[in-house]
Amino acid sequence: MNSEHEPKIVAFLCKWCSSAGSDMAGVSRLEYPSNVIPITVMCSGSVSPLYILSAFNLGADGVLVSGCHPGDCHYIKGNMYARRRMALLKELLPYIGLEPERFQMSWVSAAEGLKFTQIIKEFVKQLKPLGPQTQLRRSL
Amino acid sequence: MEKVLKKSDLGQWVARLKDFDLYGPVRENNHWEFNQISQLANFPEDYTQVNVPLKKILLPNREVLFQFEDNRNGGPYLQEVLPEEREVVVFGVRPCDARGIVLLEKVFSSEIPDIYFERRRQQVYVVGLSCYPLPGENCFCLSLGGGPFSTKGMDILLTKMQSKYFVEVLTPKGEKLIKAAPEYFFNPTDKDQQERQQLERKARAMFTRQIEGVEKIWPVLSQMFESPLWREESYRCLKCGICTYLCPTCHCFDITDEISSTAPLQGKRVRVWDTCQFPDFTMHSSGHNPRPDKASRLRQRIMHKFLYFVETFGDIMCTGCGRCVSKCPVGIDIIDILNKVASHGA
Amino acid sequence: MVEVEKIREEARRLLQEGQVRGVIGYVRGPQGVWAVPAMIRNPEDVDRLVWNPTCVHNLVLFVVEEKKEQARQKEPDKRPLAVVVKGCDSRAINVLLQEKFIEREEVILLGVSCENSGVVDKKKLLNLVPSQKIEEIVYGNNGHIVAVIDGERRVFPPEEVLADRCLECQANFPVVYDHFFGEKIKKEAINTSPGVDKIEKMRLEERRRFWEEELSRCLRCYACRSVCPMCYCTECVVDPISFAVEPTTTAEEKAKKIKWIEKSPLLSENFVYHLVRAIHLAGRCVDCGECERVCPEDIPIRLLNKKLEREAWRLFNYVAGMDSQAPSLFSTFKETDPEDFIR
Ligand code: SF4
Ligand code: SF4
Ligand code: SF4
Ligand code: SF4
Ligand code: FES
Repeated sequence: MNSEHEPKIVAFLCKWCSSAGSDMAGVSRLEYPSNVIPITVMCSGSVSPLYILSAFNLGADGVLVSGCHPGDCHYIKGNMYARRRMALLKELLPYIGLEPERFQMSWVSAAEGLKFTQIIKEFVKQLKPLGPQTQLRRSL
Repeated sequence: MEKVLKKSDLGQWVARLKDFDLYGPVRENNHWEFNQISQLANFPEDYTQVNVPLKKILLPNREVLFQFEDNRNGGPYLQEVLPEEREVVVFGVRPCDARGIVLLEKVFSSEIPDIYFERRRQQVYVVGLSCYPLPGENCFCLSLGGGPFSTKGMDILLTKMQSKYFVEVLTPKGEKLIKAAPEYFFNPTDKDQQERQQLERKARAMFTRQIEGVEKIWPVLSQMFESPLWREESYRCLKCGICTYLCPTCHCFDITDEISSTAPLQGKRVRVWDTCQFPDFTMHSSGHNPRPDKASRLRQRIMHKFLYFVETFGDIMCTGCGRCVSKCPVGIDIIDILNKVASHGA
Repeated sequence: MVEVEKIREEARRLLQEGQVRGVIGYVRGPQGVWAVPAMIRNPEDVDRLVWNPTCVHNLVLFVVEEKKEQARQKEPDKRPLAVVVKGCDSRAINVLLQEKFIEREEVILLGVSCENSGVVDKKKLLNLVPSQKIEEIVYGNNGHIVAVIDGERRVFPPEEVLADRCLECQANFPVVYDHFFGEKIKKEAINTSPGVDKIEKMRLEERRRFWEEELSRCLRCYACRSVCPMCYCTECVVDPISFAVEPTTTAEEKAKKIKWIEKSPLLSENFVYHLVRAIHLAGRCVDCGECERVCPEDIPIRLLNKKLEREAWRLFNYVAGMDSQAPSLFSTFKETDPEDFIR
């Protein structure tokens, strides 16, 4: 596998927590790899599995969905619905042969800038040896 | 030109066709499909009819028409994309599918030829296989001017006999194929001729499905636009595209742009299969749909094949392959419908 | 034994009394023994109704279509529809009720038991006997299927000719009905999905290769979607144009419509289509097996839905269509839902 490959990660970040957490990481001058394409969403509960599949389809090597910790969702339970949906998607993707590492989910609060950087670093580390994601990627 | 080929020599002959891409029937899950092959020792005893007809090579499900790019050297840039150059021999084409090509030619090779189709057509060599026994339970080509030994659209027709293939070489393209290994082809004896004729007679007697009075159909159809028959027959239709996607003569397409980059704008314009059985096929951008229901869509399928095409091209756009009958998930049966239509005229 | 005469009697009564606007059932199709769906509107026609192991279709699809058709009509006939339902079909009704797509009063359910057996897989049977020769297909004893050929009865054990979904079915009689025909014989499924087991046992690359081979054949005829009573969205994400275009929709609005996947049957697009469909059917698919039956390319689409059926049970103890009052899989959650996959 191509260890030089710089993976592209599409991250769906909840505006109220994880997105703020990533800002926090920036403000605190914490260094983390520049592989992330952040997409701010209103709540992790608003992330349709279709978005994730579409990200893979348009060339993502990894996809992250990140929301507020249980109990902290701004809309009270959006993240709980998300958890169910993502649990099934998490099972489905390896079933068709996609490496399980390519799709991840996390809870990151607005204060957890450090946790966010760690998650991304770890994610990049896991993706690198896998090389580019080609299974769902559209090539015309 | 008529020849015979020993059954055991088929593989040798095919092995000589090194300059061609070879296609033949390959078993997949529960059906046969024309796939690329590297050799062909025989036609398996249980080979019936392929699932997707020959049009998958002549009119592929996705045909790139051209590439485009915005703003290369200050203006839009277009580049023609033509089908790759490769000569293809397809073995085991049944007469109904070969006749399908002739009908497609009426549409795509008329006054304004379609360059994509034309190029593919020129590159395809059709080696047919006659039908004894009949490959399908819903074969009805005999009712439509075809037959289990019809040669229309073929370059060569093979007939499987006791120990030999009877080889009818029909075109210069067919001759070219034979010339690749002339030592395997012999002149048929009288006995060979008789065996071939006898098989054809037997095959013609095997048909269980037919249309009574095809000639009545198109004049009657022109009076049947408002008939309640369409509603009754289409009630159970799923509006899936199977009957048309698998038809050797259906050729409707959609043209769409596939964008590979937005800045700079780059992409391809492609032609993909489409079908009158999809509700959005006739959807206008106003929101109006002139064929709003299953009845009008079934009517369109029948009318296009048995009336409009006859009016435009003087031929029926159906070769009687029976696929739409066998493959329809809810048993909508064009033979049954046509017999009902014909009896309307009686 | 389901006595078809009893179904006819009930259908006749409902139609004669004007209680229903029609009966959706099975009739003998134009190709001999194979049943096809039909809408019966006149009491004189009820004798056309049949019940036998070729009644494979999930008729709830037509309930969905009728519902949509009614929405278009100015003065729709509000009387209910009677519909013949097997076990799996009845679960589809439950899902529609759960999702408030229909109300219970809109249907009168003529429930039929699958007689400790199921329905036949035409492809399996035709590998054993030529279709033209079959005069009749009926239920025998102990779940066996009997085909009458040249006047002679040939008996087939269920595992040879039944549809896979029936061999794996654990509830072969309706869970919701108004009238019930036959007996409620609970049979034990041997394995709920050997197909899923097989794929789970493969290595990752093997799974990828398996699905690539299967899905590369997909023609995107959408028969799998068209036949599914659960695929009732008026606007599907895979459609190149939206059905919801109104006369007032501007060209600009149309151009902005997101095109999620390309119409071309490219492998990547086929994957996304089937994954989206599988996810959207999670907790909703009742395993009537229709998608797989209709696929002209013999793609084992059911194995995607079965996988999610298995996971929905393993992770959330959820089975689709068993209870119309319970919240649906994705419209609820438990505090204790697994989250060990979340960082
Ligand atoms: S195959 Fe049958 S159900 Fe599908 S569109 Fe054609 S007629 Fe209708
Ligand atoms: S209309 Fe039906 S029978 Fe006729 S050529 Fe097409 S698929 Fe075959
Ligand atoms: S899946 Fe079950 S309920 Fe459905 S037809 Fe088969 S046996 Fe009957
Ligand atoms: S029915 Fe089969 S070929 Fe048609 S879209 Fe579905 S999977 Fe593809
Ligand atoms: S608001 Fe952050 S997950 Fe719902």
